[in-house]
Amino acid sequence: MQTADAIVIGAGIVGASCALALTNAGLKVLVLDRGPVAGGTTGAGEGNILVSDKDPGPELTLALRSRDLWFEMQADVGDSFELEAKGGIVVARLDDAPLKAFASKQRSAEVDAIEVGDKELHELEPHLTRDITSGILYPQDSQCQPMLAAAHVLQTVRQRGGEVVTGATVTSIKTVDGKVVGVETSKGSYSSPIVVNATGTWAGEIAQMAGSHLPIAPRKGFILVTAPAPKLIHHKVYDSDYVANVASSDADLQTSTVVEGTRAGTILIGASRERIGFDGRMNVDILRRLAAQATSLFPILRDIQLLRAYRGFRPYAPDHLPVIGEDALVSGLWHSAGHEGAGIGLAPGSAHLITQQITGVTPFMDSTPFSPRRFQVGVA
Amino acid sequence: MIAVIGAGPAGLSAAATAAERGEKVLLIDSSPRLGGQYWRHLPSNWNDDRSLHYDFSKAQALFDRVLTNPLITRHSNAHVWQAEKNDGVFTLFVVRDGVEEKVIADKVILATGAYDRSIPFPGWTLPGVMTPGAAQAMLKSHGVLVGKRVVVAGTGPFILPVAAGLADSGAEIVGLYEANNPIRWLLNLHGFILNPSKIAEALYYMKKLRKHRISIRFGKSVDSTSKGFATVNGKRVDCDVVAVGWGFVPDLSLAGILGAQLKVDGDGTVVVAVDSHQETSVPGLFAAGESTGIGGSTLSMIEGVIAAGGKGKFARWRAQVFARGLQRVYPVPTNWQAKLNDQTIICRCEEVTLGDICSSVDELGAENGRTAKLFTRAGMGLCQGRVCGRNVSEIVAAKRAEKVHDSERMGGAQRPTAGPISLGELGDGLQKKF
Amino acid sequence: MTQPAASITFTFNDEKVSAVPGQTIAAALFSANQKVLRKTRMGGEDRSIFCGIGICWDCVVTVNGISNQRACIIEVVDSMVVQS
Repeated sequence: MQTADAIVIGAGIVGASCALALTNAGLKVLVLDRGPVAGGTTGAGEGNILVSDKDPGPELTLALRSRDLWFEMQADVGDSFELEAKGGIVVARLDDAPLKAFASKQRSAEVDAIEVGDKELHELEPHLTRDITSGILYPQDSQCQPMLAAAHVLQTVRQRGGEVVTGATVTSIKTVDGKVVGVETSKGSYSSPIVVNATGTWAGEIAQMAGSHLPIAPRKGFILVTAPAPKLIHHKVYDSDYVANVASSDADLQTSTVVEGTRAGTILIGASRERIGFDGRMNVDILRRLAAQATSLFPILRDIQLLRAYRGFRPYAPDHLPVIGEDALVSGLWHSAGHEGAGIGLAPGSAHLITQQITGVTPFMDSTPFSPRRFQVGVA
Repeated sequence: MIAVIGAGPAGLSAAATAAERGEKVLLIDSSPRLGGQYWRHLPSNWNDDRSLHYDFSKAQALFDRVLTNPLITRHSNAHVWQAEKNDGVFTLFVVRDGVEEKVIADKVILATGAYDRSIPFPGWTLPGVMTPGAAQAMLKSHGVLVGKRVVVAGTGPFILPVAAGLADSGAEIVGLYEANNPIRWLLNLHGFILNPSKIAEALYYMKKLRKHRISIRFGKSVDSTSKGFATVNGKRVDCDVVAVGWGFVPDLSLAGILGAQLKVDGDGTVVVAVDSHQETSVPGLFAAGESTGIGGSTLSMIEGVIAAGGKGKFARWRAQVFARGLQRVYPVPTNWQAKLNDQTIICRCEEVTLGDICSSVDELGAENGRTAKLFTRAGMGLCQGRVCGRNVSEIVAAKRAEKVHDSERMGGAQRPTAGPISLGELGDGLQKKF
Repeated sequence: MTQPAASITFTFNDEKVSAVPGQTIAAALFSANQKVLRKTRMGGEDRSIFCGIGICWDCVVTVNGISNQRACIIEVVDSMVVQS
């Protein structure tokens, strides 16, 4: 039987980042995935690395550190996944007071949030509708190509002695006296005292296999992709009013719709936190809303063609915080999952945090708010 | 109301049959004129003598039946970009002359046809290299000869009428190359015996080719092209146009969007699965013609009639035997990948080379066409993998010494949208209360 | 078969081209011996028609300011402005 210092289940960006951090900490790592690299939610992501959409609190602290770690990861792995600090601009059509108040709170948490007036705004985004006269610029907001990132990070893991086995479905997590000793898969058994569950939307299933539980559920989201166009949009542009009007009263939906250009020339129109149920089918009405929103922000997009649309299932926990840390019921089982719409952005930060905990280093931040314990102990 | 999508041999037959049975029909087609790809013809201002067609009388008869039947409404220059089925009723979202409208139908007959299958080779992106269908369409629809000295190559019966038509219109056919050996025709002897009219059709084109002193060179194919010449089995052939085609691929986007069961045909082509009434796995959704298996115009017309509730099951069987025979006679040679080099473009839209795809397998762990696509963008461009999708899957599989899984082939035929729509039109659908 | 007069005109990359009513942009440009329709985004390679029936999108041009229009299926309209 093959042995490893740590097994990471999940070859998406969260698992890949975790595998790299553990490898760099000196562990011999084995990565398992039932599908190919980046075959789940990573393969349906926009590549958002955002600080603009987060309230001050633990997630923002993690996001700020994670954003810097993305650039450190690029320095480590190579400039191979289109990482770019393109910056985000949040605009409001009707009333910009809530936006300014939100930005001011964020500034106190060390977020760069710069108020921009009419002239400046249209210099930054010349094709933005003239109806909008102010916004907040978030220079830290960044972008990567998540599939390439996961693949290149895992390639580095392999080069440094780790192993990646795809097409291996985990069928059981083996424990002895409440401690993890390894996993069994469709491609054979592997032993290790540490198993990291980085299976995103499917993390609940893995927890259950080990005799524990995690309340991670899928939340569907659509992204529209346009035909390639000349560079029309320079930042990630979010419309806060629209989201507040359309989606729900939930505060964390404030900066949900994103319009941005990509290096390939396509324009992505995403609704990063839309609640539209759990049905896998195409919803034409959602596509229409996204298109209407994007074209009202950027009228020049009216003549651009829709190329395709795709959907993904984001993993989310009931309190909308990621689950990062050791299982409270099974020792040696660690989780890094439930990042909802922010998995790409939070991946290296989560990897860093979990690696510090596994290797006994004092974590860079208090990890208690992310602990799986909150769903496992003292709850009915 | 019955919506018939596509106005080629299958769609015209379906529309005419359904209307003659008393049904109201909406015939939706992306071209300005009836006929589909097979019966492309010049606009009325040309006084077309139809000499480029073998059996235009059949087309004319169908055109007349469709155009004179008051139960048939036509939407031309229109395409269905999206479709849904809710509570037993189909909703089709149609873009006509750039404007979107909604169509409700109780029954839908898909007759969306097929396009040329292409295989990459060094130089295939140069201007002047095209599919036989392109050369044919320019001539039949617009009276334009694509070149003066033309090489026609690939495999299948279609390359013969293309060469004959180009020669009739004044082009010099500097080479007509059929990759397969004529001995393989024996594999379809029973097909010819059951369908003697096909012998007459073959002889008609042979006679035309003889008249122009064109002989078919068997067992040869285009290795590469450069500006001004093609290399065929190692020999230089000067020309200004190279038309290469390897059979046909049906476009199944709408069938996939509506959730119809697909299947993989004997030669790896993905088609829509239908029952004896041409009905798909989605009740009320029918398919006729090339989307159910490449079979030519005769089979398409029969299937169109059956899909509309008419008779013809024996005729269909007979024509299917012929179609299956043709698949055996004209396989795509398995060695096509040997002609490629690392710089050869595989995905024309996103300019992805063979080298890019190979390194996505070797370095990034791409395991199939889908992951290779995510890593390289092959198949993510404007055509949405219609040209390269199958080739990318086969390249990745060959590199990993595997076979392409049927699930991947069927997945590759699925697309979230069936045709273009502008973001402006898409968003305006909200106000129109679609 | 008789070819009607090329009675309408359009511009392609600022040059005047005549066309027969009903002809597509690609057909009119081929008639004028203009086979290169565009250059690719990344490699700057010349491209022309390939499938000829609207499937491959290799012949896309900008028509009256709207990008990604298929020259092989869009009919010429008098005074149309077409660019690579």
